[in-house]
Amino acid sequence: MTDERPTPDPADPATPAADPADLAADGALSPPPLDDRLAAALRDLTPVTPRRPWRDLAWVAALAAAVVTALVLALSLRRDLDALPRAWVIAYGGAWLGAFVVGAWLALVPRAGHVVPRGLAAGAVAAVAAVGFVVAGLTLARTTPRSLVYAPTALEHLWRGAACAGLGTIAALAPLGLGARLLRGAVPVTARATGLGLGAACGAAGGLLLHLHCPITHPLHLGPGHGAAVVVGALAGALLVPALAKEPAS
Amino acid sequence: MAAGAGGPPRGDGGDDGDARAVDAALMARYCAGDAQAFRQLHARLAPRVLGYLVRMVRDRAVAEDLVQLTFLKVHRARGAYVRGADPSPWIFAIAHRTFLDEARRRRRARVGVAEDGQPPEVAADLTGAAAEAGAPGHGDDGRGELTAATLAALERLPPAQREAVALTKLGGKSIAEAAEIVGTTPGAMKVRAHRGYEALRRALGRAPRAAGEPGEPR
Repeated sequence: MTDERPTPDPADPATPAADPADLAADGALSPPPLDDRLAAALRDLTPVTPRRPWRDLAWVAALAAAVVTALVLALSLRRDLDALPRAWVIAYGGAWLGAFVVGAWLALVPRAGHVVPRGLAAGAVAAVAAVGFVVAGLTLARTTPRSLVYAPTALEHLWRGAACAGLGTIAALAPLGLGARLLRGAVPVTARATGLGLGAACGAAGGLLLHLHCPITHPLHLGPGHGAAVVVGALAGALLVPALAKEPAS
Repeated sequence: MAAGAGGPPRGDGGDDGDARAVDAALMARYCAGDAQAFRQLHARLAPRVLGYLVRMVRDRAVAEDLVQLTFLKVHRARGAYVRGADPSPWIFAIAHRTFLDEARRRRRARVGVAEDGQPPEVAADLTGAAAEAGAPGHGDDGRGELTAATLAALERLPPAQREAVALTKLGGKSIAEAAEIVGTTPGAMKVRAHRGYEALRRALGRAPRAAGEPGEPR
């Protein structure tokens, strides 16, 4: 962001008397005294620990890693992992991981010297990731003889794709909830965009789980099915973050 | 202590960095449990927050209520502060959110009343319609007729342009700061401020300035 500042010029003789800039000097209205609730709260003021965004990011990343690891161990690694091109496995997995890291970073870590995270950028990343993973699944799918192939009917695609999207979303919920809770009070504006970004990031963590577990390689499964984890995660974030990140009621 | 009374205005221009550092230090002390630091922070920022809210709601009493609510929210959310950060944009963003929530609440209430066949309360309109309490000479604004005309023209602007003008031209915020406060991009804020400013000038019967002239939002 640039840091350009408008320059009111009330001293400029060419400036008409009613120029709105003349009002720029008027920033000294006397505010009311503190109300009773705030005054009472100040009498019993307790210290709080300021938010530490990088630590928050580390917590969310650690929880996402724990959830993905636990589910992969519980559900098993995909059976065609050794047969797939190694570069494809690493690149595709790296894309899921990168989407998680970038999205969560933007949603949780503000620019230096700021309090509010970069919600709009996080929301933009969510949109790119949601479209990108669907398109990537449709166009970059690789299959092996050991991959799972099933009757490619539309109904079966929908059924199995929905199951994978559900699994990915389940994996996303815990880190999403934690991230939303850690943002409490930090996003008075752009909470929904921040939620989109955080949700898409956590959905990408779910996508990484699917990448490591699911042996179905059909493009119609990889694209809409696995990609839906990001889409659903983003929508869940857009709902959860504005609700969970509101400032405490007391 | 009558918080806010006599507090030094936050510096602009060359003092801006110092002012931010002072605000950040006060906020850090406040988070550490120093109530006096909060009072000093309130004294520094509340007048500017009030100025912004008065321009948005055109009702001094409502704006004062919103200032109280804003700082209550700041108090409750103080754990969200990031050490070393300038708290001002965050606090203004909370004020902006408080204004939006209040406007929405009152709009709903007005619709509810209208459904009952009763006329809406004039002063309850926070969205740009006339507010009798914001009439020239109300409160301690002490502005002349031209200022009142400017404020009246400001009131007729679309809300997005009004908040852009109130923050940048009248509140002295940079385009980037104003964008952060209302949750939009600097580009969009620049366009809103420019359009709002030109609309104000047209409303006041002044010729639009050429781009780049002094006073133009940049």
